[in-house]
Amino acid sequence: MTVLPLDAADDVATEPLPPTRRRGLPGFLRRPGGIFGAAWLTFITVASLTAPLWVPYEVDEQNTANRLALPSAEHWLGTDPLGRDLLSRIFTAGTLPLASSALMLVVAFGIGVPLALLAAERGRLTERVISRVSEVFLALPLLILLLAVVGVIGNKLYAVMAIVGLLISAGVYRIMLGVAQSVRQRLYVDAARVNGLGSVRVNLLHVLPSMATVVAVQAAQLFGIGLLIVAGLAFLGFGPAEPEPSWGFMIQDASSYIFQQPWLMVPTGIVLALTVIAANELADAIAGRASAEKRGRRRRRRAAAPVAAPSISAAPDAILDVQGLTVSVDDGPALVTDVSFSLRQGRVLGLVGESGCGKTMTARSLMGLLPDGVSVSGGSIRWQDRELAGLSEKVLTAVRGREIALISQEPMVALDPMFSVAYQLTQPIRRFREVGRGEARQIAAQLLRQVGIVDAERVLKSYPHQLSGGMAQRVCIALALTGQPKLLIADEPTTALDVTVQAEILSLLRALVRDTGLSIIIVSHDLGVVADICDDVRVMYAGQIVEDGTTAAVLDDPAHPYTMALLGANPHVPEGEPVPVRLASIPGTVPPPGSWPTGCRFAARCQFAQEKCTVPFPALPAHGDGSVLCIRVDEIHAAGVNWGAERAGAEVSPGAGLTAAPIADEPADEPVQTAGVIR
Amino acid sequence: MLGYVARRLALAIGTVFAAVLITFLLVHIGEGSPGAVKAGPGATPEQIDAENEALGWNQPLFVQFGQLLGQLLRLDLGESLINGRDIAADMADRVPVTASIALLATLASGVVGILLGVLAAVRRGGVAKTVNTGAGIALSLPAFWVAILFVYVLSIQLNLFPATGYVPFSEDPAAWLNSLVLPVLTLTVGGAAIIARTAYVGMREALGQEHIRTLRAVGTPEWRIRYLHALRFASVPVVSVLGIQFIALFGGSVFVETVFAMAGLGQSAQSAALSHDFPVLISVVVVATVVVVVTNLLLDLLIAALDPKVRTP
Repeated sequence: MTVLPLDAADDVATEPLPPTRRRGLPGFLRRPGGIFGAAWLTFITVASLTAPLWVPYEVDEQNTANRLALPSAEHWLGTDPLGRDLLSRIFTAGTLPLASSALMLVVAFGIGVPLALLAAERGRLTERVISRVSEVFLALPLLILLLAVVGVIGNKLYAVMAIVGLLISAGVYRIMLGVAQSVRQRLYVDAARVNGLGSVRVNLLHVLPSMATVVAVQAAQLFGIGLLIVAGLAFLGFGPAEPEPSWGFMIQDASSYIFQQPWLMVPTGIVLALTVIAANELADAIAGRASAEKRGRRRRRRAAAPVAAPSISAAPDAILDVQGLTVSVDDGPALVTDVSFSLRQGRVLGLVGESGCGKTMTARSLMGLLPDGVSVSGGSIRWQDRELAGLSEKVLTAVRGREIALISQEPMVALDPMFSVAYQLTQPIRRFREVGRGEARQIAAQLLRQVGIVDAERVLKSYPHQLSGGMAQRVCIALALTGQPKLLIADEPTTALDVTVQAEILSLLRALVRDTGLSIIIVSHDLGVVADICDDVRVMYAGQIVEDGTTAAVLDDPAHPYTMALLGANPHVPEGEPVPVRLASIPGTVPPPGSWPTGCRFAARCQFAQEKCTVPFPALPAHGDGSVLCIRVDEIHAAGVNWGAERAGAEVSPGAGLTAAPIADEPADEPVQTAGVIR
Repeated sequence: MLGYVARRLALAIGTVFAAVLITFLLVHIGEGSPGAVKAGPGATPEQIDAENEALGWNQPLFVQFGQLLGQLLRLDLGESLINGRDIAADMADRVPVTASIALLATLASGVVGILLGVLAAVRRGGVAKTVNTGAGIALSLPAFWVAILFVYVLSIQLNLFPATGYVPFSEDPAAWLNSLVLPVLTLTVGGAAIIARTAYVGMREALGQEHIRTLRAVGTPEWRIRYLHALRFASVPVVSVLGIQFIALFGGSVFVETVFAMAGLGQSAQSAALSHDFPVLISVVVVATVVVVVTNLLLDLLIAALDPKVRTP
């Protein structure tokens, strides 16, 4: 077992951590809400604590000649019903709510956090006991109970707020327990324990730091609630006694004079509201919630500029002909560039490559199902006799399911968990085939049997969470067939399934092609799947097709170094061939979009790369019956070398002077595999 | 399922018991005694002792606690120390007031909050920013301040609604509704803000789910995806928060009851706290806890009805 470095805690983000910290400034201070929150809270705290030093009047300095005055040069915020200065009273009153809310926080976290750490560490029984007690506390009516407390112990606000802290510590415990448990499950905490760190030190070094963000968010939010409670109690008459000022009572006072001087409401109310808003804004900013809408644009479809009718159409009888397809992030880098392929009826085409090569984007663009902010920015998608690129969402909706259907990678989350299988199947059946409820249900059962489900009636009554992965994928395939489509796009259809189930699903797809004349595009990083089912294959790397041809030609005699590497890294050894001592690997990772090098995009990782690979080369050199995007393809072929487990030696010089593509720290939308190991 | 129900019921009974115990202990730990409250401010120590003796205050604690539990089981809440009224009868008058306010405010918060939250989630961009910022401000405003603001604008300036008073439903339904507009509006400001945020987050999360893409891939119309599938997915968190809101508003109505002079449960708690009327305080806590516990049980049932994962094995 690898022992992780002990300072790994710094790298661990608890859920709401702000994305990146740069130049030392905490993330929440980079948002307007956070700046406002922090600034106002600092201001009000400092101004309140120093109030005795600077306020222009004594809090009980009455001037009955100048009662209920509006703001003036002498009284910036006006005066109250006894002619006392509002500004002086408001800021003098600030200390009590601020300090007693802080006390409430100390009590709440002082009890809640240690209990959460204890419950997370001690295991089941302790956790149960503490959790049950906390549930009881959480179910108590806080405000009413608080009035009972005040009724018994009197207007001692600090004591009352400490009791509030005790009561809400149950809520703090609940939240912190969740965080503590998830942190403790992480490997490095185990590693630290194996290394013999005591439980106190594990908590101090590893668990507490990852709780910090959540604690800060909760504290800021609870602080606002504390302020409202203090002011509310004072409003109800349970605050400091006159002439001592308090925000709540000043508002109560103002309400009695609402007919004579409504202005009296304004200054105290605004200061109290601003302080609570500041606490909440700070909480939101720390949690990073405000940024959620930064890129929030409406789903907008940018019309693609279809290229002029392509001169070379691969096959005259193709039902799908994609030419020069480019998919990009709106106002951002391209994800897929100049991809062309075509598909005939009843054929199965495989798109293979590592994660992050643009396979999924290519497949999804065919149905217009790209993520928000990503669109087809060039090229043409010719489907039967229509151009699909740049069509409106409305027109595409009519194509989806009826002509082109999709099955996706994760069958367990691809079905709506809130609806029964019957509902999810009959709904599109009724729409596509214009039949009634009863007939739709019969068709649904028939479809389920067609995809190999024996007890169709039971499955129809089930909800998705009651199905196994293989069963769910069969239901997804049945769902895709409801509209009797001509093309099925299968995005990693077997990746999430057990090996035995994988084989069943593949043979089901093969049977569908044979029996119904369906065409299929399979996206996969599994060469076994491709070899098993595909007629043709397109190998993709960094957003482009680097090699294409029939499956037999490409897999038996790979021409592009990347294809060779993929095959070399494939742990499945064909029968009769010797098991290699070392499995080949592909060094480095797929460069993310936007940082693709000029020239060959694979050059930085290629064993056979040379100087000439890094300059742009004019056209796709033809090779055999397909085409290969490698300028050295004939040299490598002639040399008869193959991708080696070790870095290649003398016979083909490694890419001297090559620099690896700079890897930007922006996240790719698919997890990038570190080694090109193909499952 | 049966074990689950039994566990929830046990928790419910445990919560009510805890509430009784906590208030009972509070009263006994505190400095005052019911005799002193009943005898009034000018009473001599002898008079206070006599009152305490008559109230059973000098008996051992566990005896007193047993008596209190026995009383509560018989639904006998005792008499007020201040005016000698039967508390159970008083509560029967007061609970409908607070329940009306809290229920209507929860409904209004639900309708307004879900509309705004869904609108923000669907339109995104500037709309979402406005709704979220507005909600952030609205949920920070103190209810009692908002209440007075509404009185000033809608009652004093525009003379639309009565500023104070409660009319029972049985007397005049129209006047009942009219008397509730301002208190409900006040509580809806904060309530709708919280629901709007929950609905927004829930809808955004729902629309980002994998199964939404499956629905798009079979050509499901966009309105169906949004308002049937995504909304159904978001309904579970929204309903949970609505339940919590009802509980919070039930307690929080003390502020609007004070501002609008309505004889509800909260106002009773406030006056009992001011006058140290211990039996009334205990009763209010017990009644409020029962309301909370029953709400939580109903909420569990509602969530089970909504979420097949909870409902089915």
